[in-house]
Amino acid sequence: MSDKHAPFFVGYLPVPGPLRGILLAVCVLFISGLAGFGLALGVAQDDPGDGAFRFDYGRQTVTGVVELTPYPLLRVTEGNDRIKAGHTLMLAGQGKNSVENRAIPLEGKLAKVSGVILQRGDLDMLQLRGGRNGLGPVEGAAPELVTEPLGRWKLAGEICDGKCLAGAMRPGRGLAHKACANLCLIGGVPPVFVSTQPVEGSEFLLITGPDGGPLPQGAYDYVAQFVSLEGDVERRGDLLVLRLDPETLEVLE
Amino acid sequence: MNQAEIILMGLRIWGTIGALVAAVFLTFGMDRIDEDAQDAYIFRPLLIPGILAIWPLVLWRWYLYETGREVWARRYDPPRKAHFAVGWILPIGICAIIVTGLSIRQQWPAEIAPERLSAPTEVSQ
Repeated sequence: MSDKHAPFFVGYLPVPGPLRGILLAVCVLFISGLAGFGLALGVAQDDPGDGAFRFDYGRQTVTGVVELTPYPLLRVTEGNDRIKAGHTLMLAGQGKNSVENRAIPLEGKLAKVSGVILQRGDLDMLQLRGGRNGLGPVEGAAPELVTEPLGRWKLAGEICDGKCLAGAMRPGRGLAHKACANLCLIGGVPPVFVSTQPVEGSEFLLITGPDGGPLPQGAYDYVAQFVSLEGDVERRGDLLVLRLDPETLEVLE
Repeated sequence: MNQAEIILMGLRIWGTIGALVAAVFLTFGMDRIDEDAQDAYIFRPLLIPGILAIWPLVLWRWYLYETGREVWARRYDPPRKAHFAVGWILPIGICAIIVTGLSIRQQWPAEIAPERLSAPTEVSQ
């Protein structure tokens, strides 16, 4: 060192007098700067919304007709205080799992479902209990159910997995959640399209492949981004189902 | 090939070269440049992750030792001289990355309304 009298900071020795001011200033600026930076980052994030598992509702048990879109739905025919008859419930298993294997034998038949509801505004989904306690047949003839075509639409919005969006995760959408959403979709959780504005009264649409099959894997790359797309929309009970035309998927600027 | 595939491909190439460097350096190279490491093998697998990450630096240092160009007294000059610049570049760079990410992220296209392209056909049961 050229200047042997220059003040030199050593952590375990008293702070040299000439350095006290700058050290204090750096400490104050550093701590307040970090706090301010953290606050700014937090404020810049999107509001995750109020979606959540509604354990406070208790276990929900209702009866209805099982439909496969191919994602399992229940068209409720005998509801309860919270889930009314005429409502269409999307069904999911525990974690990132589908209940498709349990639903296939019951397609078009009356069934009783039981589980915990996830709810975000008008969007809800039922996470079923395991085995026949969660989904089992019921005696009786299934009523005929109407599917109402609503024509072909061009929409803008975001493809999400319905379970996280409904409240299993917060945030349950957006780029930060993309990997989780894709894992849910790979597991067979019903995907949901969030429209920028309501379509026939609903901003949430169950989204499927073009022929009523599962969402094509090519669409997974577009999950969590803001996209425009076209497809045929139909109403099943109070749930809209969008049959995606994959050729029309575009990321918005 | 989309952006994710390009990144993955780059990581695979980097990791593959790193694995080759680790295999050669840990079996032959280390013994040639560090006599203290001779006949000591248990610790070598612990170095594999580090070599995978910074294999170009490993090759460079290996080259200096092999060619006799290594000057131990000057070894720490570059990082020491870079402290001041790096001390500024790092926080500014982190802030710039975050601000850039926030500013170029997509905005929710709330102004785009749903558009019906064709009328419904018929009700099915």
